[in-house]
Amino acid sequence: MGFAIGWWLWPAKYTNTPPSVLRQDYYDDYLLMTAAAYEVEGNLKQAQERLIALAPKKPVVSVIELAERLVKTGGDPEEIARLARLAQAMGTTTSTLAPYLEGPP
Amino acid sequence: MSGPVLRRAALIVGLAIGLTLGLVYTWGIAPVELTNTYPALLRTDYRWDWVRLTAISYVADGDLERALSRLDGLEREDVAHVLEGLIEEYAAIGRSTDAMRRLTTLAEALDVYTPAMSVYLYTPALPSPAPTRTPSPIPTATATPTPTPTATATPTHTPTPTLEPTSTPTSTLHASSPLSTPTPEPTDTPRPTSTPTPTYTPTPTPPLLDRLHMTEKELVCQPGQTPRIEVVVKDERGEGLAGVEVWLTWPGGADRAVTGLKPQQGAGYADFNAERNVSYALGIGELGIPLVTGVRLEPCPAVGNERPFIGSWRIVLEP
Repeated sequence: MGFAIGWWLWPAKYTNTPPSVLRQDYYDDYLLMTAAAYEVEGNLKQAQERLIALAPKKPVVSVIELAERLVKTGGDPEEIARLARLAQAMGTTTSTLAPYLEGPP
Repeated sequence: MSGPVLRRAALIVGLAIGLTLGLVYTWGIAPVELTNTYPALLRTDYRWDWVRLTAISYVADGDLERALSRLDGLEREDVAHVLEGLIEEYAAIGRSTDAMRRLTTLAEALDVYTPAMSVYLYTPALPSPAPTRTPSPIPTATATPTPTPTATATPTHTPTPTLEPTSTPTSTLHASSPLSTPTPEPTDTPRPTSTPTPTYTPTPTPPLLDRLHMTEKELVCQPGQTPRIEVVVKDERGEGLAGVEVWLTWPGGADRAVTGLKPQQGAGYADFNAERNVSYALGIGELGIPLVTGVRLEPCPAVGNERPFIGSWRIVLEP
């Protein structure tokens, strides 16, 4: 009965979650918006803080993974470029993303 | 204590212990793990950051539908609070007009209003030259239709050899008459105005308000005077320009004045009361383009034994 109540009837409520547990689409959105905010405001420190909240162990990797995924799936070149610029500002880039740093290929 | 009673008590105690252990395990040790959460469940600071990021992203990409869908499901209070703060912040630091317009568009779509928005709402998207100002065919020396002393310019009745009667079925005149008599009528004589003068080409200079910029910023120190921000708008000749809308914005507010309402101060004069430790921005005209940002009241330098006091700013805007 305790298990039924605890897991099903009144499960523990989570209302103060961190961005790291967002569903994949929201997670990707958070990354895209962080890159857009960096472009608009130019605040690298704030962008890094956001990425750490999102992916504490691999902040830059998450940016690159999304950017490369968008390249493969034919995503918006402007969004890919924003992600590439953010990753570059954090000291990382890849051969896939390099063309986007000079403008959409 | 009899057997049945003891058994019932043991059952109740057992149930209570089982329930407690179950809840401890399911709520504390192995609670339901949420890995696919959504923005409304984020901690307050992250939730507010989500709203801020959405608004800034809209500034970057201009996709209103996407921005609204990103904010879907969030509390209206959260959205309004963050958006108001962002607009005030951007206005105070003098972000571009385009950015401010995007933010105010988003805010308006969400029924969020803040004083700083008023400058940017319902204004044209681009400060293009206003057609009401440019087409003034200024009668300058070059614009005079110089009547060249040719034979055709004289309105005499003698037909000149250049006048061909068949080639002038001018608009409505004699359009219905099938006859084209070779005797040209005096009214068909070419008028001086028909000679195209190249001096009528419109000058592409933008309107005066678009060319204004700060040329002077002076700290006015008058003891006993209420600290204020004085604005003087001048035209190309350095004369005060009356009737110009001037906007003063600051985090949490905006004020509007029109030059010339205090004629004793000059035609181009307007002023605003101001407070210390507030960063103001000045905008001009209906477009509300911020021309001067980061205006803060400052103390006047102490002279002798005078008590220090706050001065006013006098800002001159000229093309």
